[in-house]
Amino acid sequence: MQSPLELPQQQLSKDAVKVWIISELITNMIGFVILAVLLFLDHLYSWKEWIGWILIGFTILSVISTIWSMINPFLLYRSWRYDVSEEFLQLKSGVMVEKHQLVPMTKIQSVATKQGPLLRKYGLCSLSIETMGSSHAIPALPKEVAVALRNQIAHYAKIKEVES
Amino acid sequence: MEARRYHPLSILFHLWKLAKNCIFFVIYLFVIKAGSDSSFIVYGRYIFGLAVGISICSIIFKWLTNKYVLDDRSFHLYKGVFNRSEQTIPFSKIQNVNRHISVFHRFFKMTSVSFETGMKGEDAAVKFDVISQAEADRIEAYVARINEAEADGSEEPTAPPKHAENEASPAIESESTAQERTIHFTPTKRDIIKASFTSLSFLVLIPVILSFYDKAKDIFNLEEKAGGILQNILSSKWLIAVIIIAFITVSVVFGMVRTFLKYGKYEISSDPERIYITKGVVEETVFSISKDRVQAIEIEQSMLKRWLGLAEVKLISAGSSESNKSMHEINSLYPFLPVKRAYEMVSEILPSYQVTHGMNRLPQKALWLRLLRPSWLWIIVTAGLFYFKPTVLKMKEVWWMLSVALLILVLVARVLDFLNTRYALNKHFIQMQKGSLTTTLFISKRDKIIEVKVTQSKLQKLLGLASIGTINRAKPVHHADVKDVPRELAGAFYRWYIGRRSEVIAE
Repeated sequence: MQSPLELPQQQLSKDAVKVWIISELITNMIGFVILAVLLFLDHLYSWKEWIGWILIGFTILSVISTIWSMINPFLLYRSWRYDVSEEFLQLKSGVMVEKHQLVPMTKIQSVATKQGPLLRKYGLCSLSIETMGSSHAIPALPKEVAVALRNQIAHYAKIKEVES
Repeated sequence: MEARRYHPLSILFHLWKLAKNCIFFVIYLFVIKAGSDSSFIVYGRYIFGLAVGISICSIIFKWLTNKYVLDDRSFHLYKGVFNRSEQTIPFSKIQNVNRHISVFHRFFKMTSVSFETGMKGEDAAVKFDVISQAEADRIEAYVARINEAEADGSEEPTAPPKHAENEASPAIESESTAQERTIHFTPTKRDIIKASFTSLSFLVLIPVILSFYDKAKDIFNLEEKAGGILQNILSSKWLIAVIIIAFITVSVVFGMVRTFLKYGKYEISSDPERIYITKGVVEETVFSISKDRVQAIEIEQSMLKRWLGLAEVKLISAGSSESNKSMHEINSLYPFLPVKRAYEMVSEILPSYQVTHGMNRLPQKALWLRLLRPSWLWIIVTAGLFYFKPTVLKMKEVWWMLSVALLILVLVARVLDFLNTRYALNKHFIQMQKGSLTTTLFISKRDKIIEVKVTQSKLQKLLGLASIGTINRAKPVHHADVKDVPRELAGAFYRWYIGRRSEVIAE
């Protein structure tokens, strides 16, 4: 897609892939434990037939999604781009569906950096941006970059347009 | 400037509301369970009495402590008996003004007025529950004047309005503004008749008719056994016919009265700065909004309205108070406008908006893409039907027929949506229309759109298509989108939005 603005160029931290894979693994493990317990209970108390089918369906879906969640982070990392100019925040992301977003700086209400335990381990931060109409997040930036970006957005967002 | 209390009648107003809320409990505790001496009821009565007492005290204390004052740029509201709070709401944040004149207000020749902002939460509006009409006019005119002066950039507006005594001489400034107003629309008798048929309000009585018919049949059947059979059948048929005709008349009249009460006294007017929508025969509401605060326009047509050539025009505004559940009704210009008049009126009352008639259709390949897209509704319903295999009308093995029927419905809806989808992008505006049975045309200005996005799935990429979407301020925020437009348009749309920098004024 051509546009007078440069397409966004900035990429996330490479460690993002690791963080995503680890967190996906953890959530999938939890999911499998729950499923295993349910399957065991189903076997033990012989619940209705259709419950069994649904559980099996879920298991198959979980296996597929686990495999996908091992591949997806690489693709997602490759697709993620962001950029900040004086007037606009540009975001591009998405593997199956590519999504471009254009947010005027003047409409940004707040920016914040956030860090969970996994992100902290790799020295990363995520940046969340609240606008009048929605909220956006740039996941997994190196901490210094995130803080600098936060301050820059805050600076640009200070310029106010006449609101009506 | 000294802080003022609200009008003393607001005590009565809140007591009246309290009484209305209590009625159910009173009937239950003192009428239905009058003779009961179960401890639940007895204690219930005590607790009820206590609650009413506390409520009455709180109403009086609230009146004593809640105060307001206007300075040259904002409302200051003082609240609280124990926890005091002071709230400042600048006039510039007010998006629209709403008046509601209920029967109570009419009786005392008062009104309620709320100045609504785009903020979130309970305190999003400055609300005067009871206020004299003159005072309301004065405050409204004052706020409007200051906002206009600010918009023009002129310095120091005139001094704050003097609080005249209640029911004092009508405000001069409000009269002078009233003179400039041009009335754009008031419904004629024909409009109301059309409206009552389109809103199908005459159908409300049909269930009543049916149940009555059932009962009537029973009665006549009984008579049949008793007396001369032939004659009775004849007479009962006649009777039934008469009754049916009577009921049709009654229900049509009923529908028309209902429509008249709702849409009869309708008036859309505007002055150079603001738009006013007045409606309601018994309970009157007045909605007014500054023209440059209109975030977007929506023109909605149901299938019935399309046949009759009617349309509903809605103004999307950023302000509404939480209590206002019927907001979407309030901001609607007359819902049964003749289409041509609707378009004319948009350009009359909002000269900065231009509705383009020549809009673009989607490319043919968008239709194929839409038909091919999996329908989750259909998949889930079919899976359910496959499992349960229900028997319908005593027929077995019809589940696949139902599934096929649903699929056809889904596909027809998609084809209709494809045919109804249009878009246009001109210098300052975007127009997007979609919908299968009910179509919605969305029009907004570039500087009112607060965010845009373009999405493209793999299939869309293959076919050179993309989806575009906008977000506007409203409560809740308003999303609008068109799917499967040509990729080139999506690029143009992005560039178009970037161009907004040329028309946005920085503070």
